[in-house]
Amino acid sequence: MDSFKVIEIKKSVFEGNERRAGELRAELGRRGLFLLNLMSSPGSGKTTTLLRTIEALRGELDLGVLEADIDSDVDARAVHEAGARAIQLHTGGMCHLDAEMTRRGLEALGTEGLDCVILENIGNLICTADFDTGASRSAMILSVPEGDDKPLKYPHMFEVVDLVLVNKIDALPLFDFDLGRFRERLARLNPRARVLPVSAKTGEGMGAWADWLRGEIGSWKLAAGRRGQEGGRL
Amino acid sequence: MHELGVVMEVAKVVEDFARERGISKVEKLVLQIGELSAMIPAYVQDCWPCAVDGGSLEGTRLEIEVLPGNAVCGACGAVYRLLEHREGCPACAGTERELLSGREFLIKEILAC
Repeated sequence: MDSFKVIEIKKSVFEGNERRAGELRAELGRRGLFLLNLMSSPGSGKTTTLLRTIEALRGELDLGVLEADIDSDVDARAVHEAGARAIQLHTGGMCHLDAEMTRRGLEALGTEGLDCVILENIGNLICTADFDTGASRSAMILSVPEGDDKPLKYPHMFEVVDLVLVNKIDALPLFDFDLGRFRERLARLNPRARVLPVSAKTGEGMGAWADWLRGEIGSWKLAAGRRGQEGGRL
Repeated sequence: MHELGVVMEVAKVVEDFARERGISKVEKLVLQIGELSAMIPAYVQDCWPCAVDGGSLEGTRLEIEVLPGNAVCGACGAVYRLLEHREGCPACAGTERELLSGREFLIKEILAC
């Protein structure tokens, strides 16, 4: 008769993904390629925001877009027509992207000559927050009709992002979304997160958003340059 | 529904672990899942037979321990369960808090020979 014994493993299941995400981030850091993980609920205005962003940075920064939403390739086509390199990832019904899928997506897109790739994550506020994609920064879009109580319902998402775009502010008079109350709720979960009220439809606030991106991409490239110099001296 | 992919990852980690240590049979696997994690224990349990079908873990029993989502109050230091007190500390009503547990998804141990 075999004798069974208990063997302790104590290993986090997310460890594999976290390791791969760390490796991808380091590699992107060396290459000076900025990857933004953009998350939101379906219908928050992600594609419109992306189109406005491409427009605002056209001629200045070369952008690529990884479209991961489960939808058809309508989004990727619209982005491509706006002048950015884009591909649609077919995620086969998955509800989030992980670091390995992101790496494969970047390879399929081809990142040569790009300054920044925006990963349009799957429209979902739950598990997209749990899986590190290897992105340089994470941001989310919250639209006014969704309500200022979203941080209470999906706290983890609001804890992991660097910035929240509050979109559709042109609709503020129609809804009881209170920006002050939202800022308070967010600060309680994540005091370092920035908030930028925008309307992708009217263009309001999109300048400040483009400035934030410019700043983050600039410092990411600068750090890559420094690392390159250090490497050169060795 | 994202449990299947994650459960397949679990099976891979355990298979590798068993192979490296020359373990011939894994009788039982124990996972610890935090109640605030995005994994639903019943779904994980349902996915398990599919994830190990035809592999070396086929027939291994899966046991799941659910860990509570506890927070410590930043104002008075009381420890409380978040799912029961979403609005704040039940002792002092403070809303500053630090999460102590609840997001885990751990492979705790195996019963093997």
